[in-house]
Amino acid sequence: MSHDGHHSVVIPAPGPEFQSHTVAHHFDTPVQEFQSAKLGFWLFLATEILLFGGLFAAYFYYHQMYHETFHLGGQQLDWWLGALNTSVLLLSSWTMAMGVRSAQTSQKGKLLMYCGLTVLGAVIFLVIKFFEYKAKNEHGLIEFAHLFDGYNGATGQLSWFTDHDGVMAGVPHGHLFFAIYLTMTAIHGLHVIIGAGLIVWIMKGAAKGRFHAGYYLPVDLVGLYWHLVDLIWIFLFPLLYLVS
Amino acid sequence: MSASNDNAGHGHTASGHDAHGHGELQMGHHHVSSSAMFLNVLIALLILTAITVGASRIDFGSANLLIAMAIASVKASLVIAFFMHVKWDTAINKIVFLSSFLFLSLLFIFTLADQATRRMDDQALTTKTPVDKQWVHPSTLAEQKQ
Repeated sequence: MSHDGHHSVVIPAPGPEFQSHTVAHHFDTPVQEFQSAKLGFWLFLATEILLFGGLFAAYFYYHQMYHETFHLGGQQLDWWLGALNTSVLLLSSWTMAMGVRSAQTSQKGKLLMYCGLTVLGAVIFLVIKFFEYKAKNEHGLIEFAHLFDGYNGATGQLSWFTDHDGVMAGVPHGHLFFAIYLTMTAIHGLHVIIGAGLIVWIMKGAAKGRFHAGYYLPVDLVGLYWHLVDLIWIFLFPLLYLVS
Repeated sequence: MSASNDNAGHGHTASGHDAHGHGELQMGHHHVSSSAMFLNVLIALLILTAITVGASRIDFGSANLLIAMAIASVKASLVIAFFMHVKWDTAINKIVFLSSFLFLSLLFIFTLADQATRRMDDQALTTKTPVDKQWVHPSTLAEQKQ
């Protein structure tokens, strides 16, 4: 655009299978564009840390208050499913890091492959999570159909926590562990879904040859988001599954 | 490194670097990590996961939670430093991201300090209603009156 006296800054494509990148007109240089976007994204990730941080504070507060409830609650979760999901997320974080590296080195095929493997990891994680939620639903520990029904008028008890096997009997506020478990894992799971969607979007761009050594900013940022999802789970796993 | 980056028809090429010069990437001095390093980090993370599970099987009393959090912090540091490339990032990006943990520690310290120094009725770990009767949810009051 030369009407304002500026020329567009164009990063050339490194090969015929790639596209050139035109730097947004409000940036003077590609480095400025890259660093501005990255600073903004780190700021966003800082707010994500604080979002989950509030939930972790709630966890620690109630854990100190009702530790028997949390020990017994943790025993109701399958620790090996949690460990499996931890490994799946760690592996997918690795494939994502390798994907970013493939973009940095203009390896289009590898970028697509590593992004595909990362999405596969996200899907496996969500399938395992689904079966975990299903089991909690069947045992009346988290009844999803009654999640927003509040208190049962007849019994004065929570509608979504009936605990019909009585596994949480004898500890105070047995529902508390499952309320925190669901809130933290559901918000985390939402991040897994959003992250997987973003990686699919990256794959669409990668297939067109948008990302290469000269321009890989979106791949880098989505990669950071995915690593954050892994980062949160690293703390959730021992706190929720191994407290017993 | 050419003195001028001007291309015919364009104001600039990608950057001040000579793209074919020293195997550097075009967009500034961005660090490209080796595949071997990423694999080593992954193996370390998986081993630490196994250690986390193992440590939880042993009863250290109230120290179990601290041990689990210490191992998780080591794992998180590996992810942040290597997978998220913070080790090679600019100072401002390091400050922005790592300061969130500083503010998080303020939240934890004041929340837990409040709890640790608070006396809860007779039984230290249970909350009580201020009046001497069972608390009922307001939605159940209507049924009780009938």
